[in-house]
Amino acid sequence: MSRSAQVGISTAIAALCAVLLMAILSKSTVVRAALSEPSVQSKGNVAGFASPLEVLLSPDGGRLYVLCQESDSVKVLNTRSFAVIKSIAVGHLPRGFSFSHTGDRLYVTNSWDDSLSVIDTHTLAVVANWPVGAEPSSVVADNSGKRLYVANRISNDIAVLNAETGDEEARLLAGRGSSYLTANPDGSRIYATHVYPNPPARRSGLDNRMPPESEITVIDAAKAKVIERIPLHRIAGVFHIAFSSDGRLGVAAQLHPKNLVPLAHVEHGWAFEDTLTLFGADIGTPIEVPLDEMERYASRPFGVAIAPDKSRIYISHGGSEIVTVVDVAKLMHFIHAHAGPFVQDLSASANFVIARIPVGRNPYGVALTRDGRRLFVANRLDDTVSVIDTRLNREVSKIKLDSPAKVSPLRHGEQTFYTSKYSFQGQFGCANCHIDSTFDGVQWDLEPDGFGRDIVDNRLLEDIRDTEPYKWNGGNPDIPTECGPRTEKYFWRSQTYDNLTLADLSLYIRSIPQRPNRWRLAHRQFTDSQDRGRVIFSRTTDKFGTAIPEQNRCPYCHSGAKGTNQKSFDVGTRKATDNGALLDTPQLTNIALTAPYLHDGSARTLEEIWTVYNAADKHGRTNDLSKDELNDLIEYLRTR
Amino acid sequence: MKVWSRLVALVIPFAMLIFLCGFTANPTLQPGAPVIVTASPSYQPLAALRGEERFPLGAHLLMVRDGVAQPLVPDFFASADASVSFDASHVTFAGRERANDPWQVWELTLSDRSVRRVTATQTDAIRPLYLPDDRIVYAQRGSLGFQLEAASIDGSAVLPLTYLNGSAIPANVLHDGRILFESTFPIGSGESPEMYLVYSDGSGVESYRCDHSEASKQGRWGGRQLATGDVVFTHGKSLAKFTSPLATEIAITAPPAQYAGDVVETAEGTWLLSVRSNVGRRYTLVTWKPGTKSLQTILAMDGIDLVQAVLVAARTKPNRHPTALHDWTTANLLALDARQSRDGVFDALPVTVRTEMKDANGTAVTLGTAPVEADGSFFVKVPGDKPIRFALLDAKGVVIREEHGWFWARRGEQRICVGCHVGPERSPENTVPKVLLRSTTPVDLSGPVQITATGGH
Repeated sequence: MSRSAQVGISTAIAALCAVLLMAILSKSTVVRAALSEPSVQSKGNVAGFASPLEVLLSPDGGRLYVLCQESDSVKVLNTRSFAVIKSIAVGHLPRGFSFSHTGDRLYVTNSWDDSLSVIDTHTLAVVANWPVGAEPSSVVADNSGKRLYVANRISNDIAVLNAETGDEEARLLAGRGSSYLTANPDGSRIYATHVYPNPPARRSGLDNRMPPESEITVIDAAKAKVIERIPLHRIAGVFHIAFSSDGRLGVAAQLHPKNLVPLAHVEHGWAFEDTLTLFGADIGTPIEVPLDEMERYASRPFGVAIAPDKSRIYISHGGSEIVTVVDVAKLMHFIHAHAGPFVQDLSASANFVIARIPVGRNPYGVALTRDGRRLFVANRLDDTVSVIDTRLNREVSKIKLDSPAKVSPLRHGEQTFYTSKYSFQGQFGCANCHIDSTFDGVQWDLEPDGFGRDIVDNRLLEDIRDTEPYKWNGGNPDIPTECGPRTEKYFWRSQTYDNLTLADLSLYIRSIPQRPNRWRLAHRQFTDSQDRGRVIFSRTTDKFGTAIPEQNRCPYCHSGAKGTNQKSFDVGTRKATDNGALLDTPQLTNIALTAPYLHDGSARTLEEIWTVYNAADKHGRTNDLSKDELNDLIEYLRTR
Repeated sequence: MKVWSRLVALVIPFAMLIFLCGFTANPTLQPGAPVIVTASPSYQPLAALRGEERFPLGAHLLMVRDGVAQPLVPDFFASADASVSFDASHVTFAGRERANDPWQVWELTLSDRSVRRVTATQTDAIRPLYLPDDRIVYAQRGSLGFQLEAASIDGSAVLPLTYLNGSAIPANVLHDGRILFESTFPIGSGESPEMYLVYSDGSGVESYRCDHSEASKQGRWGGRQLATGDVVFTHGKSLAKFTSPLATEIAITAPPAQYAGDVVETAEGTWLLSVRSNVGRRYTLVTWKPGTKSLQTILAMDGIDLVQAVLVAARTKPNRHPTALHDWTTANLLALDARQSRDGVFDALPVTVRTEMKDANGTAVTLGTAPVEADGSFFVKVPGDKPIRFALLDAKGVVIREEHGWFWARRGEQRICVGCHVGPERSPENTVPKVLLRSTTPVDLSGPVQITATGGH
């Protein structure tokens, strides 16, 4: 079979799988966010910190636009003086922005109030504010000026909007946690990545033990249709993409977790590898390229830029707090000289990574000047923008943005959460498995429970305050225990925080707020289906009039505002490889987002919890329910 | 033995005279901090790996400050192996208080020069190094040679770290908290010196790099880590280094000389080295700025080797290793794919793995065999704290490949290897090993009853 035929078949299979999985994911309709609890949104935000997340240079290079997450603003700076020209208020927790193809407008996605701000770049005023999909995370405009594409993280899709009115014209299925969009240089294609791995399309019985799969979704910008899904095997967490100016080389920054092998130690890339996927005409079949070294890691690659002459690739690393510089010619030479995959070779990067430039805390977005001489890097957690001289490969200036004179304990805790410096050789940090303080969608085999035993699904961190104990077996009574000695011993495998830092980290984790629930209507109202589901959730007798034992009623275990009575039960889901049957009752916070389900992630959907794993009715009395009734119950649960 | 002791006793006073008479120092080239150096009429750097004496004619620590060298512990019959505490307030060293004493570990308080004994054993304890958490690591002579031990700085809570069929000598404590030590290659059985790593609880022993074929010709020893993280060592007659990006050593282009390892990096970026022009000459203390062509002598003594230099300056404390050993007597070892090896492709696929242990008499004892799955994975329980090795067998029970050296796993250690002989540059593929899908219980090869398990792929 020819190479191109193989690529074509694999792409077709990937596309089919993606459609199937999206069919699974899209069974429920995401309701437009109704922000009935505005106070919730401000929890955890650190007042006064700019938190630059992304940077963008104006087409003429005279202005630097800085997307500031915590201050809900876009700051416009003069690129010569670095003086702030204007700070423009936008929506809540902006996550992505880009220009119209003429540069007259700047579009900003506001991830927590599901809106898109439109800024006139001449007046620097917000001229429109459009409602968009669930947790919009990135936006790009097509070259015709007719359409905008918006990646919606929660609904796992890409909305196609009328660029003049903001009206939605179509939704395109994307990967799970659809988050970052990039147009190729001629604007003919839009490339989308996603931060959570796609669920397996078919049940295999070992779904929770299969390598994660991700994709780059390719959209024909003129037709607004998905034309290709480039598979990213064994990848979970894909971030920015960049293209060379000739469009022949594409680069995606990504995480390559090692969740299927026991996490017995972390040296030699045992927990994560940090890699790029190269694709495009220069490459042919996409290839994964490692960035780590044997004793030094390039943790959490995020932003990417390619020099105008295609000589260099610049990658920001949110965990290692560096920018790596790849020599493209050396990289190409290495690729052509080494047949077969080499992603497991930690000595490979020596052949093409030519610099590791220290920058600020939690560097994310990058922007390269048109002449390629300067690289701007948004350092989210120290409120600065690094200016790198690309001829010297070092930081020559640091632009300070709004920031209190003193770092608060909460901020210090957040810095601790996002750095990788505490793990052995700096390999990974909390944010590797809790992407943007959430989860990673994969299941891990941790060492202390025995190799291959007690496989655990990673749980959401939102609003976990007062849901102790922690761990699926309820083994950790509080967050300092969970994040202190246990994490030091079994995750970081190295001396970590002092007690003060642990206290700050615990404070931050306790303060992570719940994202607005997109299934919940305003004023605590329910749809008819949700209301029927609420009644089923609370029922005391089954459909045959038989009393349901109190301990087998939903609200018994899933009680209280967060849906947990904080006790452990045997709900009949123990696997042969589990050491015990008693499992901590998980909170129901934003449960719609956190597939897969059950302690080991064996249920791909909420439905499967009861249709596959509750044969004996030990996980609540549900086998008397019709499919519609079960759907109603699930619709209610999604509002939690 | 008695003759040897008498000879040493006679020679030492002469050595002291030489210290006083043949002293040449260059005050203008002194590093930014005082230096402690071991002065000896004869330095045999690799003798300890053979269980022999490194300083057969005695040794004394000298404090070199502003071009003036003075004995650090003048009341001692012999002293060597200085290591400065992280806050530069103390020095631990190996010393013999009297002529008939074995080498023991001592600690000196620099402010008042008070000296305190740390170890109290009947055999030599040498080469102490500070660990984080007020612990030290040193080499303790035993029946099979020197083994690494860790202990609290007061000498209590002694923890054996290595279980080799030969000697292990600590060389440096790396920034990441691991102990760099010297042994032979193959580990515990060969002749050529090589560098290995181990955590401070004795777990995770491994080669620093696996480019042994080149290195084994001349041996590598005397490694110390620089601020960059690179590890510089003596390789044959010159210097070389390991650096994070590369799986193989890099030669350092230094002026032609014989280097005694133990490179010291000064705050100014120059290196402090012990060098000699040839075997018949003495090691002198020199500085060298990497990249330049000349060495600058800062201290020389007629007929005396000046070696093992350390700076009396505060330094960053390495990370402490939080031990995760379980309370077991055995260890669990999982290989992801035994077929993967730097030694090349297998002629036949392994079907079983055989485990051997060296008993107290040094005799190899077969513990049994375990199946190797079709993906090359196997999972076995082995005795903890014993020299062990693996051999891969084909369907007929013929050895396809076997380890030449002996390693160990600590009691309660759970450890995974990517393959049977792959280097540290090889990370694992993200796949569930088939052996764990068959069973999460390891095949028990912990002895003493020989077990033979079959049923490999």
